[in-house]
Amino acid sequence: MKEILAVIRMNKMNATKKALSELGVASMTARKVIGRGKGKVDYLLLKGAEEGYEEAINQLSPGPKLIPKRMVQIVTRDEKVDEIVETLISVNQTGSPGDGKIFVLPISETIRVRTGETGEEALGDYADSE
Amino acid sequence: MLMVRAIIRPEKTDEVLAALMYAGFPSVTKMDVFGRGKQRGMKIGEITYDELPKEMIFTVVEDSDKDLVVDTIMKAARSGSKGAFGDGKIFISPVDAAYTVSSGVKGL
Repeated sequence: MKEILAVIRMNKMNATKKALSELGVASMTARKVIGRGKGKVDYLLLKGAEEGYEEAINQLSPGPKLIPKRMVQIVTRDEKVDEIVETLISVNQTGSPGDGKIFVLPISETIRVRTGETGEEALGDYADSE
Repeated sequence: MLMVRAIIRPEKTDEVLAALMYAGFPSVTKMDVFGRGKQRGMKIGEITYDELPKEMIFTVVEDSDKDLVVDTIMKAARSGSKGAFGDGKIFISPVDAAYTVSSGVKGL
């Protein structure tokens, strides 16, 4: 079992949900997060601006230093991972920086609370949703 | 690759983010969380607070950078020189793969 953690743009959420449910992956958890990517933030500059130095304020970019994103969490079987990652990339790709990142993590156990089933059967049957 | 998840005091977030930036790890995601630790929350008078507000920051780094990142977070998130209960925890878990959406390239 694998966990797919994708940090994506807020406005791509609906398209992502639609594409994933067409793929038969309906179960997911999403939450609002804020973050930053490879772009550098100069904290000396920020500090200077807070203290009111004109030169520092003029150099600041108008945007906020942490950017709101959506984080989607999907736990799935090993063989489904590639398919989901491909879908996530094709739906969310605009080509400019800030499209997000996708991480694939191992999951050691899944338990369905309702029945107490463990392992892959707790993940549900994808055939049902198609 | 490893995912470093740190649960820290909300008032220390800016310091930790700045320290990570200077150490060369700009990419971070953060979220608000609530939780309690080994001390079973905080007791003030008669009232026990067992859902204390914290911030979780997470970042994915190469294996070789792990110690540096953990060290950086630890130094910045510790209150006072000795630290105090409630400064937080750092968890590290393996990551199988990472993809950049804008380019579709595999890797960090």
